[in-house]
Amino acid sequence: MTKSAAVRTGVAMKVPAITIAGLLFVSATWASAQAPTDAQIAHIVVTANQVDIDAGKLAESMGSNGDVKKFGQQMVTDHTGVNKQATELVTKLKVTPQDNPTSQSLKAGGEKNIANLKTLKGAAFDKAYIDNEVAYHQAVIDAIDKTLIPSAQNAELKALLVKVRPAFVAHLEHAKKLQSSLK
Amino acid sequence: MNTNVTYFIVPLIVAALGLLSCSSNPGVAADAPKPATHTVAIEDTSFQPAMLTVKAGDSVVWVNKDPFPHTATSEAGRFDSGIITPDKSWTYTPKTKGDFAYTCTLHLTMKAMLRVE
Repeated sequence: MTKSAAVRTGVAMKVPAITIAGLLFVSATWASAQAPTDAQIAHIVVTANQVDIDAGKLAESMGSNGDVKKFGQQMVTDHTGVNKQATELVTKLKVTPQDNPTSQSLKAGGEKNIANLKTLKGAAFDKAYIDNEVAYHQAVIDAIDKTLIPSAQNAELKALLVKVRPAFVAHLEHAKKLQSSLK
Repeated sequence: MNTNVTYFIVPLIVAALGLLSCSSNPGVAADAPKPATHTVAIEDTSFQPAMLTVKAGDSVVWVNKDPFPHTATSEAGRFDSGIITPDKSWTYTPKTKGDFAYTCTLHLTMKAMLRVE
């Protein structure tokens, strides 16, 4: 089993929610089919950030652990910042983000995750939120590395993906630390 | 009359010699250089440069070029910028010599070192 396959399998086993399905689709499908266009990549980036902003807002209000609430708040702040930067770039490049099956799948997965989280309270909410954040950020990094960066045609769009990648890595490490502290 | 002239001339000569001695002694200037200002860019969720060497009394300015907040926080509790929002900066003037590892408390993957000589 390749490393990425191991990661994907691990992710799928840990998180039953289909939040990450869209990103797995990015990794698994785009690679074997046609690569996403820059307009589609821009849409995927904005959608991926928005999905995490929405989950973060819920964690800010429904989280029970103080660190979990703070993490949710930081996800809202950081991903809003990244989206602002992405929006400024696509405006400058005169690229109109184009909706696509990956974005739709991400959005649907995000909505399902939120619907699931809303049924939970206290420690159960915290655990489900953080488990999903770990899997989600891992899947986003996987998609950035394997599909989005290699497919991006415009040099500035590619550079933006490279620039924001370390933030996703930092979030993943932070979420993993919280995950082990909640056990 | 001669006495009056002497009163003027002697202090002038003394003053001139004094100036001469100062300007001809570069060692004085080398021992007390003006404090420098160094810049650390906070960009791409990292500190750039990750290793910075300064002299005690120099100033270090951290400039946040990322679109979200960061901190520059000494792991040993020597300094803490608190939140630095996008496009803002924070200045610190270390007085104590030593190696100070620091991080961003919001993004723990960000590690850097400030060396004060």
